[in-house]
Amino acid sequence: MVGFIINRFIAMLLTLVAVSIVAFAIIQLPPGDYLTSYIAALSATGDQVDPRVIENLRNQYGLGEPFLVQYWKWITGIVQGNFGHSFEWKRPVWELIWGRLGYSILIEGMAVIVMWFIALPIGIYAAVRKYSLGDYLATVGGFIGLAIPNFFFALILMYLAYTWFGTTMGGLFSPQFENATWSLPRIWDFLGHAWAPVLVLATAGTAELIRILRANLLDELKKPYVVTARAKGLPEWKVVLKYPVRLALNPLVSTIGWLLPALVSGSVIVSVVMNLPTAGPMLLRSLTTQDMYLAGAIILLLSVLTVIGTLISDILLALIDPRIRYGSR
Amino acid sequence: MRKDNFFGLTAAVAMAAMMAAAGPALAQQQAPSLDELVSSGALPPVAERLPSNPLVLEGESVGKYGGTWRMGLNGGGDNGLIVKTVAYEGLVRYDHEWKTVLPNLAESWEVSPDAKEYTFKLREGVKWSDGTPFTTADIAFAVEMYQDPDYAAGSWMDNKNNPMTIKVIDDFNFTFIFEKPNGMFLETIAGVDGIHATSLQKNYCSQFHPTYNENAEADAKAAGFDSWALYLQDRCAWGWETIRFANPDLPSIYAWVIETPLTANAQRVTWKRNPYYWKTDAEGNQLPYIDNLDMRVSQGGVEELTLAALNGEIDFQERHIATTTNKPLFFDGQEAGGYHLGEVIPSASNTLVLQLNLNHLDPVKRELYNNKDFRIGISHAIDRQEIIDVVFTGQGEPFQVAPRPESQFYDEELAKQYTEFDPDAAAEHFAAAGLTEKNGDGIYLMSDGNPAKITVDVISALRPEWIDMLEIMQLQLAAAGVEIELNNIDRTLFYEKRPAGEFDAQVWAGDGGIEALQEPRYYFPFSDESVWAYRWAQWFNGTRPEIAEEPVDWAKQQMDLYNQVRAAGTPEERADLFNQILAITKEEFPVIGVSLMPNSYSIIRNNLKNAPESMFNAWLFPTPASMDPPVWYFE
Repeated sequence: MVGFIINRFIAMLLTLVAVSIVAFAIIQLPPGDYLTSYIAALSATGDQVDPRVIENLRNQYGLGEPFLVQYWKWITGIVQGNFGHSFEWKRPVWELIWGRLGYSILIEGMAVIVMWFIALPIGIYAAVRKYSLGDYLATVGGFIGLAIPNFFFALILMYLAYTWFGTTMGGLFSPQFENATWSLPRIWDFLGHAWAPVLVLATAGTAELIRILRANLLDELKKPYVVTARAKGLPEWKVVLKYPVRLALNPLVSTIGWLLPALVSGSVIVSVVMNLPTAGPMLLRSLTTQDMYLAGAIILLLSVLTVIGTLISDILLALIDPRIRYGSR
Repeated sequence: MRKDNFFGLTAAVAMAAMMAAAGPALAQQQAPSLDELVSSGALPPVAERLPSNPLVLEGESVGKYGGTWRMGLNGGGDNGLIVKTVAYEGLVRYDHEWKTVLPNLAESWEVSPDAKEYTFKLREGVKWSDGTPFTTADIAFAVEMYQDPDYAAGSWMDNKNNPMTIKVIDDFNFTFIFEKPNGMFLETIAGVDGIHATSLQKNYCSQFHPTYNENAEADAKAAGFDSWALYLQDRCAWGWETIRFANPDLPSIYAWVIETPLTANAQRVTWKRNPYYWKTDAEGNQLPYIDNLDMRVSQGGVEELTLAALNGEIDFQERHIATTTNKPLFFDGQEAGGYHLGEVIPSASNTLVLQLNLNHLDPVKRELYNNKDFRIGISHAIDRQEIIDVVFTGQGEPFQVAPRPESQFYDEELAKQYTEFDPDAAAEHFAAAGLTEKNGDGIYLMSDGNPAKITVDVISALRPEWIDMLEIMQLQLAAAGVEIELNNIDRTLFYEKRPAGEFDAQVWAGDGGIEALQEPRYYFPFSDESVWAYRWAQWFNGTRPEIAEEPVDWAKQQMDLYNQVRAAGTPEERADLFNQILAITKEEFPVIGVSLMPNSYSIIRNNLKNAPESMFNAWLFPTPASMDPPVWYFE
């Protein structure tokens, strides 16, 4: 098991190096740089900027240097814990993103948990009672959740909250709690706001989970060991939960690593619409203004999350399915 | 006897009512929220905080103190809203009609006959929000900073085409001296650009500059910045940079000072009253009336702001939420939300300006686009009414790029020429431009045998209606024999393409509809925004000599006239010269417009008084700040 984890860990580091190069290159791909979009903004407001001033700034920011030099500066800084300065906010990147990433992980983590809570029982039920009315209802409900675009669902929720209750749903806190320290009332206020985005994000993934679980479980339920267990007189719930469900979970666990980035990228528009201070809107804005160190840091951290998620799913998989471990012996 | 009594009684009641009404207002002089600070000694009495000659703002009615003005920022980088709401405090300002220049921080001024020297007298006793006096030293410091090559900015103070120096006479009198005549200088600083000179407090900002603090470089390093310039920028910035509103320690002269700063993670930016604000109402009460500003920060989408406005959670706002598509929604929601709609007149003249690249590097296209008949042909081939009906629900009228009807430069002929939809006239003009043969798709062939296809660069993210309009124009022009290809691109690429000179056409809105004199980008090759003649504009400005091209004669004549405008001493002379420029524009017809930009609207809560029911909206005329929010109040 230890050897397995070490192997995985080395692969992880190599992946990260590759990802960081790709991330930095992608941010540099669009024409121009931060100063071009800065001039664009100034120019649109009727301001004339002397090209020599811009040249000065470009040197100050180190924007005129070749790609590899810029990348090397960036990555060596990151190794020392310095993610660089955000051009737009004139602040260290790290200071800007940690709070937002925290909220992202919190919201999206809650969404994953809610998703599993909804999907697992429905998936098991749908498999055990195949082609029953309940199976159809659950499946149709799940597909509706999958089919409605997240931002649209968010808009509908906001509109209904406004017309029915006269409240504007948005943000994660009421004004009086925005800058308060964590306390029970603040947590309560947070939950009062967070349920909506969590629900929106969770419904998007449930259908997929339900279908995977249902299909896997159907395969397992036909196998002889299940028939044997049932013949030996085990209670039905135990027959289903003890082994078939555990095996059916296998593909779900192995994709945990993809959940995090999928949720972060999937939540960008929801966050913009519902006004959530998560990493998504900041990533979007930093990309449009070409604030490259900020964008680079967010993309890199998302990649780190993916890689960590993959590691977690590998370990979990090794735990629930002993067959996986044979490979590393 | 009874009658006398009756009159005596009514008189007494009336007197009492008048005293009751006048009494508290006279007794107040300052916001009640400041009373305790003054009595505890933390703040000097109001008489010592006000200048000897405070600026008096007259609202429709005398207000009362208190309340919070709620509005919404779009995304974190929305410094524009803050500038347009609180930061418009220059030496001079505009009146509500955007016509005359009025005193602000300067109480009077004199202009030399050659329009090179401007001598200002500051209001004595104006104080920064930290209580220190506002003097000529602060103005001189701002000039010094803007002209410091290491502290790169861009402003009229460091304009290399007309270098400027400042001569300080005493604490309250100083002179700006320009190398060349600058007849429009007062209009320049009455606009939003004026705040450059009044935004840096020497006392606070000089501590980050090596001239005043020998440890400046070391301090910057210790604070984590690569150079003193970056540190100074972080602490003080320039007139309207986003980061100016991220530093609550920075003293200002605004009516409200920052309480919760604008940072990347701010969910709300709040402001509280500036106890040293230097304006009063007609009865001598210190302004502002409203205690606090509360700006919720959206994450870049305006859906939540729209709902908040509908729900009565926005007290006054135009920016972001007043879209054409939202108008019916806001109209229907007035009663439930407790607000009403005010009128907002845009400064832009046109919904869409089609700018053919007259400086195209391809000689065939250049020749064609420079042919006036070709442009007239296109203009006649556009059915403007159809576009107005489909895209703007009938709002607006066919219009060229010309000063708006509200402008003193309005010229109906210029605004309406070639706007009628007339396919026959279009065909005649195309023939006159040398387009006679068509290919199998019905598209004219240019002189090199290629079809007349124009690739139009557009940023639909900025104004979604541009794409809708262009798609209709695409069909209309195809029927007339000219093919349009839409090239929807990002803003950075849009700007990068300009110096290269290989784009066919770009579209933008018609800026300069009211502020035609200050923003003549479509009337002659004036600035980088004169995309239709980018290389000629470089010749005029001297900013990018490597790509500058000598303009044709008529453009040169306009540039010459505009230089005379700059040198002219009186508004009448300037207007006369500018009309000559517009006459050439009318003759040459450089860019093609579609329709008059329809009026917008503002959301005004019903209990908010003295707020403008009608106002202009422009960047150079920063609304609502130019409509004096300090005298607005909640009933």
